[in-house]
Amino acid sequence: MEPEIFNERTDLTELNQAVDQIRQSLSSIIIGQKETIDFLIAALLADGHILLEGVPGVAKTLSAKLVAKSIDASFSRIQFTPDLMPSDVLGTSVFDPRSSSFEYRKGPIFGHIILVDEINRAPAKTQSALFEVMEERQITVDGHTYPMDEPFMVLATQNPIEQEGTYRLPEAQLDRFLFKIEVKYPTLEEEIIILQNQHQQKLEVEINAVKAVLSIDKIKKCRAIIKALHVEPKLIEYAARITHETRNNKSLYLGASPRASLAMINSAKAIAAMQGRDFVTPEDIIKVAAPVLAHRIMLTPDKEMEGLTPADVVAQIIQKLEIPR
Amino acid sequence: MRLLLFIFLFFGVPQVHAEAGAMDSTAKKMEVRLDMTKVELRKIDKNKLSTYSKEADFIYDDAPAPELSLWDRFWKWFWDMINQILRNKVSGGAIKYFVIVALIALVVFIVLKIAGADLKIFSRKSKEVEVPYSESDDNIHEINFNEEIEKAISSSNYRLAVRLLYLRALKNLSDKDLIHWLPEKTNQTYISEINDPDKKREFSRLTHQFEYVWYGEFFIDKENFNTIKDTFERFNLHSS
Repeated sequence: MEPEIFNERTDLTELNQAVDQIRQSLSSIIIGQKETIDFLIAALLADGHILLEGVPGVAKTLSAKLVAKSIDASFSRIQFTPDLMPSDVLGTSVFDPRSSSFEYRKGPIFGHIILVDEINRAPAKTQSALFEVMEERQITVDGHTYPMDEPFMVLATQNPIEQEGTYRLPEAQLDRFLFKIEVKYPTLEEEIIILQNQHQQKLEVEINAVKAVLSIDKIKKCRAIIKALHVEPKLIEYAARITHETRNNKSLYLGASPRASLAMINSAKAIAAMQGRDFVTPEDIIKVAAPVLAHRIMLTPDKEMEGLTPADVVAQIIQKLEIPR
Repeated sequence: MRLLLFIFLFFGVPQVHAEAGAMDSTAKKMEVRLDMTKVELRKIDKNKLSTYSKEADFIYDDAPAPELSLWDRFWKWFWDMINQILRNKVSGGAIKYFVIVALIALVVFIVLKIAGADLKIFSRKSKEVEVPYSESDDNIHEINFNEEIEKAISSSNYRLAVRLLYLRALKNLSDKDLIHWLPEKTNQTYISEINDPDKKREFSRLTHQFEYVWYGEFFIDKENFNTIKDTFERFNLHSS
């Protein structure tokens, strides 16, 4: 009945096909983790970076690698270690004796999909090398600016801060990630399937069989569609109010920045498009609120000791705000 | 003990006596020198004394008390009253105990605060986050839906009319206790609260229409609006 009343304004067929293909490709190998897969796709469509956090062995790196494999684009991986230097990431100028000049050698950050594995094992000095490239999609070395190719997406993984040998990421860097997704343990049923697949040696075959289903052009097209999606003014106000509440909340000593509001709207658009809608609903904003905000806010020490998490605070803020309707 | 005392007195006293005799013999040999200088008496000038005695700084009679201002008189009255109350056996005793209890409470409060205890446990849930709650612009229980819907239709504001139809459907569901209305709940939450599968399906459809019109700002003409209105009215009829 609805299609008769509401004529299609935006053609989302191609986008939804692409989403289905990636989802299918990832779901065949990663058992469970449906929400993680959806957020990975949403981040890709919303032109954002994603941080996957979880204990070792919950398929964080595998998920990131599979996303990269599903896209027909260049991929590079940087293993972050405590002795990694900024020049190891960005590249460095090397003296060429033949031309008697310095020549810039590009670092591994130059690529479309960058997997930064164990990002919180490198110190703040190396982390700061990512600030410019993550936000402005460019690198400035020796006075020269090198723009990154589109799409440029950083997929980072990290262990929780409580784990040995990890550093807390700088707030400025956390703010540059669109989502931080906590990858949870699989359920018992899911773990049995993982073991069966491994036992039957299906996993390796399936990983090798993953093919690129999304071209760079298609990604660009999907991103353009998502940018143009409709957001009702009251919903923009709703997203702004959620962010604003984080700045006045007694449980928090660091609230979210306007970049968080922008991230919430952009990612809500991606979620709406993935559900076949060309407009955002309050549910879309609520769905992305915790993954967008939880890593950008900081609890007061007493609330942290009480066992409250940033995601709890975001949930409580949402529960107290009126839904615009 | 007595024996020891006897020995001390018997041998000790003659010894002291002997030392005193030796000192006398030494004194006889010493020459005593006397201060023979003339003492000159100084006299105070009587005129000067009379001048000094007339100066205000040297008049030590009690200065007259300054006159109290209105403000000072108020405080004098206040403290006199407090003293009177405290001197009174009944009221003074009660105040004394009140002050003791207040002091103990203050000490306990400071100790708990230093220990980092969450003092909100006495009043509400400790993990509760304070968020100012803003009142809804539209309280669904106070809107005159028939009148407002008619107004929206007559001004061809079909988008607003669909919104009002949806709010009326929510009110009806709330009145029949099929949902628990709260402004902060999402439409999907209301759908999940409906237990009857038919009603759930119907309401999902209405929600879908409302979302397309209200959030999606899809244009609807009179004809489409009438179709939607019929759906809403049928739902209200079935759920009554």
